[in-house]
Amino acid sequence: MLTRSELARYDRQIMVRGFGVEGQEKLKQARIFIAGAGGLGSAAATYLTAAGVGMIRVVDHDMVELSNLNRQVLHWDEDIGKKKVDSATEKLKRLNQEVEVEAIAEMVTEANISQLVAGFDLIVDAVDNLPTRYLLNKVALEKNIPLFHGAVYGFEGRAMTIIPGETACLRCVYRGVVPGEKFPVIGVTPAVIGCIQATEVIKYIAGIGQLLTNRLLVYDGLNMKFTEFRLKKDQNCEHCGHLARGKK
Amino acid sequence: MSVRVNVHPNLYQFTNDQAIVEVNGSTVGQCLDDLVKQLPQIRQGLFGKDGKLLNYVDIYVNLESSYPEELAKPVKDGDELHITLIIAGG
Repeated sequence: MLTRSELARYDRQIMVRGFGVEGQEKLKQARIFIAGAGGLGSAAATYLTAAGVGMIRVVDHDMVELSNLNRQVLHWDEDIGKKKVDSATEKLKRLNQEVEVEAIAEMVTEANISQLVAGFDLIVDAVDNLPTRYLLNKVALEKNIPLFHGAVYGFEGRAMTIIPGETACLRCVYRGVVPGEKFPVIGVTPAVIGCIQATEVIKYIAGIGQLLTNRLLVYDGLNMKFTEFRLKKDQNCEHCGHLARGKK
Repeated sequence: MSVRVNVHPNLYQFTNDQAIVEVNGSTVGQCLDDLVKQLPQIRQGLFGKDGKLLNYVDIYVNLESSYPEELAKPVKDGDELHITLIIAGG
């Protein structure tokens, strides 16, 4: 049940056809796990907080550095040296006190990931490396939690939505690894992709629209083009192949 | 057979900033061979020392993944290839 204050705060989105009070109530019940409080995490967490989701858990082990500030807009000059999750949760709580925001300053590992995501309805992939993304993908499949993938490099960004057992997973698409290196990025790129991830999350929770499933959306900011690659579940996928075979 | 290859921006350093290259071939592998013939430097961005496609390179044919056939996947006149590289920043 929404309060009078919530009805006023979310008035403009409640007006959206197909969303309504029912959509807002669903958002209020949602518990969202966000892995990463960097560029993607800043954009996704900001808009999900503003939209009025019920609870957000932000996990990141990094500290804020000066070189983060071109894109990680939840962190400001005064936050340099602080834990990113503390800096992020402070801003998110100021943005919308109705949303419960929890900070966990830990690295996501194979040992802790299952516990970290336990009890959450959705996982937002806002990390900066492929090995952690593969961990998120695996745990999402194991626990049947939808995963909202995003990645950036320079002016390029990508997004896709994964519904475990139903759609192509991250490992169906990516089989390799890329060296863990300092990557170039224009600040607006993770903003675009993080907002796409947040859009997907809102649509999924509200049960409206067409999700970015079995599609890899590639944003080319330099030439201002969006390209959509069609994806298929890989029946022999190392991560989800057993789910596909089990459905036969 | 003429095929348009859309090169990933991270490989422009090997193509003199050309985003699209016209190649000939009846498989993905033949098209990439022709691409390397035209722009020899790009080999290091696509293939390992063993001659295999690097595992962070993905080829799409008419916007669909060429996996698992990859290099053996047939192409026809007018097809479009996209060479993409995995990106991992956040």
